[in-house]
Amino acid sequence: MAKPLRLWSRPALFQLNVLILIGSTVLCLLLQLSRLPGMILLDVTPNWCLIWVVTWSIKRSPLQGLIAGMALGLIQDGITAPSPTHALGLAIAGYITSTLDVRRWVDEDFICAALIVFMMAPVVEAVFAGQLALQGVWDSQQIWTHLQQVSLSSAIISSLWTPLVYVPLNRWWERLHDLLHSR
Amino acid sequence: MRINKFWRWWDQNRSALLLALLVLCVAVFVKTTQGLGLLDLRRSIAGPFQSDGSKQQVLIDAQTQALQTQVQELEGQNQALRALLNLSPLPGYKKVAAPVVARSGDSWWQQFILGKGSLEGIQVDAVVVAPGGLVGRVMSVSPTTSRVLLVSDPTSKIGVTVSRSRQVGILSGRLNRYGVVEFENFEKTIDIKLNDAVVTSTLSSRFPPGIAIGRVSELHLDRRPIPQAVVEFTVPIETVEWVNVLTHG
Repeated sequence: MAKPLRLWSRPALFQLNVLILIGSTVLCLLLQLSRLPGMILLDVTPNWCLIWVVTWSIKRSPLQGLIAGMALGLIQDGITAPSPTHALGLAIAGYITSTLDVRRWVDEDFICAALIVFMMAPVVEAVFAGQLALQGVWDSQQIWTHLQQVSLSSAIISSLWTPLVYVPLNRWWERLHDLLHSR
Repeated sequence: MRINKFWRWWDQNRSALLLALLVLCVAVFVKTTQGLGLLDLRRSIAGPFQSDGSKQQVLIDAQTQALQTQVQELEGQNQALRALLNLSPLPGYKKVAAPVVARSGDSWWQQFILGKGSLEGIQVDAVVVAPGGLVGRVMSVSPTTSRVLLVSDPTSKIGVTVSRSRQVGILSGRLNRYGVVEFENFEKTIDIKLNDAVVTSTLSSRFPPGIAIGRVSELHLDRRPIPQAVVEFTVPIETVEWVNVLTHG
């Protein structure tokens, strides 16, 4: 039988945290590549990378949000194509999220996370669209129409699925915080 | 006396006679109308038992087989004729069947991730086809996966030919099921009609010539500066689960 968490040593808890971080990002990236029933709205799937970045950044410093967004964006480039990059949009989203103090407006934690994802999804898509427009391969009219469709559907479907990532991760981090500070 | 007898007989048999008359009328009616009503009744009874989907599918399969045989025959003839004319034979390709294990990782790129990679001989720029025609081109490979840029991606550009008129143009994707062929605008007349088949061009160096791509579904030939035609892809890209990658050798 495994030892209860409160008896774990500090390094072991850190290691577990790292494992959970890596596991959750890998899970998000795998979901990002899948088309599961119930997760498609007008051909758009939830932006799991954004959900993860928002979940991470809500209770962290702007720099942490920025770096997490950049890292996950670079990984997402790896599973799609290098240019234009997703890192810019996600870094901006991570930064803004960590500076927001949405808990002043809404009490419930996961609703607040869903709300931020709803606001950030159009930002991420718009930054990507801007880069595409600068590249000039896409027709600008087409970028604009696609951006409108994608940002709205992505905002809706991503915010609906946010609790799936936010609730377990947030609970774990709160638990970890309690464990580390109770000693 | 005699008349009385007749009337008695009439009273006894009137209804039977009228009935017989009615029956004859109906019979004559059916005969003159060539069985109106009766055949419809027959059809409505037989309807539920007739021509269900599975039989249709058998017929379609049979037709597909016939067409495949015909294609093989024509390909053979083509090679023989090329040999007669001392033209170089069309390059042979090996087909590697690969499953589609994932789709694009964001809402902008149009990509597939295939479950086979360089270990199976797939290389960058290999051509990917599926039942229905061209799917796209391999962008990058790992030992066990390969990433395909679909024809529907706006960054994909393919030289194409309209099979009927040999008109050439450049196809770029317009997301999901549509692409747009753009023509050189200095050409006076562009010979293209609705429903024309569009195939890969013989001038294209990246794609083998003559792979089906789609059909013309809209024409915007008076568009300036570049005349366009919208093409609907024949491969149902959203639902494809297995594709063939063409590799050399």
